Amino acid sequence: MGSAVALKRPKQGNHYYFWVGVFFFIVIGVVLSLYFSARQIDYTWRWYRIPKYFAYQEQVEIRSEIDGEVERISKKDNNAVIRVKGTEGTASYAAPVSALGFEEGDQVYYGDVLATYKKWRVGILLEGLWLTLKVSIIAIVFGILIGLFTGIARISSNPALKWSAISYIEMIRGSPLLVQIFIWYFVLGTLFNNILAKHGIGQIPPLWFGVAALACFTGAYVAEMVRAGIQSIHRGQTEAARSLGMTYVKSMRYVILPQALRRILPPLAGQFISLIKDSSLLGIIAIRELTKATREVVTTSLQPFELWFVCALLYLVLTFSLSMLLQYLERRQMAV
Amino acid sequence: MIDVKNISKTFISHSTEVKALVNVTARINPGEVVVVLGPSGSGKSTFIRCLNYLNVADEGSITIDGIDILDPNTDINKVRAEVGMVFQSFNLFPHKTVLENVTLAPIVVRKKSKEEAKKKGMALLEKVGIQDKANVYPDQLSGGQQQRVAIARALAMEPKIMLFDEPTSALDPEMVGEVLDVMKNLAREGMTMVVVTHEMGFAREVADRVIFMDEGAIVEVGTPEHFFKNPTHERTKLFLSQIL
Repeated sequence: MGSAVALKRPKQGNHYYFWVGVFFFIVIGVVLSLYFSARQIDYTWRWYRIPKYFAYQEQVEIRSEIDGEVERISKKDNNAVIRVKGTEGTASYAAPVSALGFEEGDQVYYGDVLATYKKWRVGILLEGLWLTLKVSIIAIVFGILIGLFTGIARISSNPALKWSAISYIEMIRGSPLLVQIFIWYFVLGTLFNNILAKHGIGQIPPLWFGVAALACFTGAYVAEMVRAGIQSIHRGQTEAARSLGMTYVKSMRYVILPQALRRILPPLAGQFISLIKDSSLLGIIAIRELTKATREVVTTSLQPFELWFVCALLYLVLTFSLSMLLQYLERRQMAV
Repeated sequence: MIDVKNISKTFISHSTEVKALVNVTARINPGEVVVVLGPSGSGKSTFIRCLNYLNVADEGSITIDGIDILDPNTDINKVRAEVGMVFQSFNLFPHKTVLENVTLAPIVVRKKSKEEAKKKGMALLEKVGIQDKANVYPDQLSGGQQQRVAIARALAMEPKIMLFDEPTSALDPEMVGEVLDVMKNLAREGMTMVVVTHEMGFAREVADRVIFMDEGAIVEVGTPEHFFKNPTHERTKLFLSQIL
């Protein structure tokens, strides 16, 4: 990029700042036109409603389940244990000291509120974000493993390995991810879970079929990158390794793969960023990741404009962090 | 030590057959330095690569230290561990430091401890005069330095035989000397060596025997005196007149 710029004649300062101005004009123009279009249809922006979907305070009430007398309140730091002694036995309840509504010796009846306090809870968007992150990380790890194995099998001379790898890669790359998710969930999922049920074993939750779909999908693309990476390493490297008495496996492990993986890190990063975004499709099989969570919140809050922007922004946070992390790794290896 | 009998090798590329080796027979004795000369395309690289099974001879037999390397039951990795190879393009491992290049194979193939391999590796780097570059990466070295590291890397396996495939052909002229010096020292120590090269001076000075190849066949074998002063074959005379 630097060299491409260097090829051009140096620009005068004013010219440059004019185009910087144009850039900001475009940005502000887009935001304003969005705002005024929303006003046209009488949309009311209520950004203040958004934070509660990240975290909110829940009112917690502790009620007595028996009639009796508060026999004892033992306090330790800010935690109290209330013992209620009734005619038919005693019951204990834990609550923060500041939340207590009764004192020792007070009479309580069934259903009385012994203590009331507020507690921070994680909102649905944050839960969705966490699930997206979790699904993506698991799928990336398995995707790498599948991709490594398949990529190596792809260039094997053994027809069973090679043809299996080619069939897998072509099948996965040639069909839509959405369809693959349906197949994993509705076909394979039904098969697995029915067979498991027949043998009296517990069911596999949809999450894992979603993860499997993403991992297999990514694995096929990673496999092609691994293959290209290995093939891009000069033959002389293999020859040098083998001439030192290393087996095929050792030369792969110590000489070829470390170099190949370094080389494919940039396209790999792109693939993983795609995977994070593709995980938004998992909502259709009842996995409440970020997109599904946003959809649910939209139906209850009726603030779609704010929420969809927030949703996009949260994906951006994930993908941008990942791309920063991988760029850091890349730079560190360049230094080597 | 190396016994090559009637090997042939044909490459097929784009449905044209190229006869790289035709009925080649040769013998390399322990402690001997054999230099293989010949014009380009004469099959000398294929010949030396066959000795290490990097190319597989189609016919004939190759026995190294009594082991038939063309026998499918032979563990070729064991044979290769005893036969060091130095390539024209060095082929150092770019992701490893100089010292790691030298110690990798002893550690993963010979199962030596890291300390032992490092000690031996440093001694070898000192031997090839490059100990102060032990912890840099190969791309920071000149061609001559890289080739000396490659020689140390091969020697780290304590091979019985060293094969050199045009070790100085990719070097700038001023770096050829430093690599040849290392090879001369090695020859003086009694290493069995097979060297494919265009360095006539090296052949004359160091070789016990010279093999001259042309069009995939061995044309003439003899001592350097015989070869350079009284070659018998017309083809040899022509070759020498072209290069000397």
